[in-house]
Amino acid sequence: MAERSDLKAELERKKQRLAQIREEKKRKEEERKKKESEMLQRTENVSEDSDLDRKRRETEALLQSIGISPEPPLVPTPMSPSSQSVSPASETGSQESIDGGTVGRTLQWDTDPLALQLLADSVHGCKMQRLGASKIVQIDFIPKELVSYSKETQTPVASDQPEEEEDEELSVPKSEPVPQQLEEEKLQEDEEVHPRELTNEEKEQIVHSEDFLFFFDRSIRVVERVLAEETDIFFDYSGRDMEDKEGDMQAGSNLSFNRHFYDEHWSKHRVVTSLDWSPQYPELLVASYNTNEDAPHEPDGVVLVWNMKFKKMTPEYIFHCQSSVMSVGFAQFHPNLVIGGTYSGQIALWDNRSHRRTPVQRTPLSATAHTHPVYCVNVVGTQNANNLITVSTDGKMCSWSLDMLSQPQESMELIYNKSKPVAVTCMAFPASDVNNYVVGSEEGTVYTASRHGSKAGIGEMFDGHQGPVTGISCHNAVGPVDFSHLFTTSSFDWTVKLWSTKHNKPLYSFEDNADYVYDVMWSPVHPALFATVDGNGRLDLWNLNNYTEVPSASVTVEGGCALNRVRWATGGREVAVGDSEGRVWIYDVGEQLAMSHTDDWSKFARTLMEIRANRGDEEEEGALELPA
Amino acid sequence: MAEVEDTLKRIQGYNGVIGSIVVNAEGIPIRTTLDNSTTVQYVGLLHQLTMKARSTIRDIDPQNDLTFLRIRSKKHEIMVAPDKEFLMIVIQSPTE
Repeated sequence: MAERSDLKAELERKKQRLAQIREEKKRKEEERKKKESEMLQRTENVSEDSDLDRKRRETEALLQSIGISPEPPLVPTPMSPSSQSVSPASETGSQESIDGGTVGRTLQWDTDPLALQLLADSVHGCKMQRLGASKIVQIDFIPKELVSYSKETQTPVASDQPEEEEDEELSVPKSEPVPQQLEEEKLQEDEEVHPRELTNEEKEQIVHSEDFLFFFDRSIRVVERVLAEETDIFFDYSGRDMEDKEGDMQAGSNLSFNRHFYDEHWSKHRVVTSLDWSPQYPELLVASYNTNEDAPHEPDGVVLVWNMKFKKMTPEYIFHCQSSVMSVGFAQFHPNLVIGGTYSGQIALWDNRSHRRTPVQRTPLSATAHTHPVYCVNVVGTQNANNLITVSTDGKMCSWSLDMLSQPQESMELIYNKSKPVAVTCMAFPASDVNNYVVGSEEGTVYTASRHGSKAGIGEMFDGHQGPVTGISCHNAVGPVDFSHLFTTSSFDWTVKLWSTKHNKPLYSFEDNADYVYDVMWSPVHPALFATVDGNGRLDLWNLNNYTEVPSASVTVEGGCALNRVRWATGGREVAVGDSEGRVWIYDVGEQLAMSHTDDWSKFARTLMEIRANRGDEEEEGALELPA
Repeated sequence: MAEVEDTLKRIQGYNGVIGSIVVNAEGIPIRTTLDNSTTVQYVGLLHQLTMKARSTIRDIDPQNDLTFLRIRSKKHEIMVAPDKEFLMIVIQSPTE
């Protein structure tokens, strides 16, 4: 019994102790909550009243659960105005307000939060405080703006502007580096991005566009000229002195090789059928080629314009035609036009202003025009009144206007003695003569002809060659004495003959060749100089003032091909030779040989007299003196 | 057109030519014979330089315009043929 009472007493004591512990715990919680509310009030704004009230209610509820009667709610209203006056920095004010409101409580708090804590600690000893998550509110204050002034000296108006500009520049570069960096990054990104965007199809599209082709055509021409240049602008004459002087040694020689023109694609396996130098640009040379049997799909007729000035090995312009081009020439009064006579009888006109390679104009294939190969094309006349004269191998001569190639202005059959037409292989106009000309034929006879007048058509016949006449050239050089009645002809009979229009027999026959002589041409500056080419690859220069028996200068072209055409440049210093393999050779003629002296004319007149005298001695019969 | 390719190949075959690039107005290479990174580098730098050169010429005389740009360095010669819309760049090492 006593044990039970003892136990009961013990139990009661334990209960009391438990109650005390609970009370202490509650008190601790309340204190903690108070502290929290104080902290909240310190950091938060005044508008956190509701929070505080809530907490108060919670604590009251807890107190109620223990057994302590709640305080009449006098707290909120006096709290609000006083709490509004709370400034963030003041802690004690809030403390007082809190304390003022909670005076009626049984439990009393000390004003100082530190004291509260100490009290709590001292009351509860070293018991563990319950830790809970507290709400952290972060408030950022704008950093105080440091306003700085950079004052400069006050200067008069004129220099104010540069100052302003400088200021602007100063401010702008600051902002510029940043956007520049951004731009650069963007650019880099763009560049990285764009190649991915430009697909192959897009590239093909661009490449095929007309603009691109125009640009490409022009730029390639320029770039090739530059690339081909090998001059060394940094050459130091003090270093290597002797090596380059050897080049001058060749200046003394009469006929030296300059360069050759050959295009792998377009000139291979083709024969050079005709050559012409440009009257406007002395460095331009046009060459026509016939068919390439090895390449049936390539166009039959090719015309290339070569440039002497630059070292590049590709033609300036490339023109095509559907039929082999047998003769070609620059239109004398139209710098952009190139005229070609073809094997089919058509005359083709190319324009280097257009970017097409095909002719811009062509004569029709009709009976009014030519129906046989056209071996001779020539522009005669003056700037204002010029005509294109073409003669084909069926003896038809047509005169055209370059504006309208749809039909000839006039056409004429070249018939000798009213019997049969002349098969013309070559034609030449004497200098400054637009009416009379000379033609050579397949039978070996040479005729004079005229375009207009009472004797329109074939005039006299000159007989002398035993084979077809391949080339004919009228004396071109203009000087004190007029030799325009002279012309030379070359033929398959291995000879070159000198004629005068006044005699129907040749004045002289040059028989130094051992093969067909394919072409002959007088020098445009020297009265006694002409060039011939033959089938052995020989280029001969004859100076009649020196020797009439042998050429004054001779060279055999490499490769051993037959040379088909020879043309002097307009200055008389270069000779262009076309061969049967599609190559065009340019030879420089030495000064002594090429340039004429003032007495060359009179010398030549004497030479002519001698020639005539010799001929007169040989042929006792006497040549027919033809009426002038 | 295949001719463009052929022509570029022919250019490439010239004595000493290292590479050639065709660029459009935006600085995007359309045709090139060099590798990609080199092309991009050349294009980026030369495009800017060409623009600068053109603006220089124009600033000196507004009627004038840039037609060709040639940069000779110790090792190479860079030739730039500009146009309104395109740019052709050829790099050649001089024959010595």
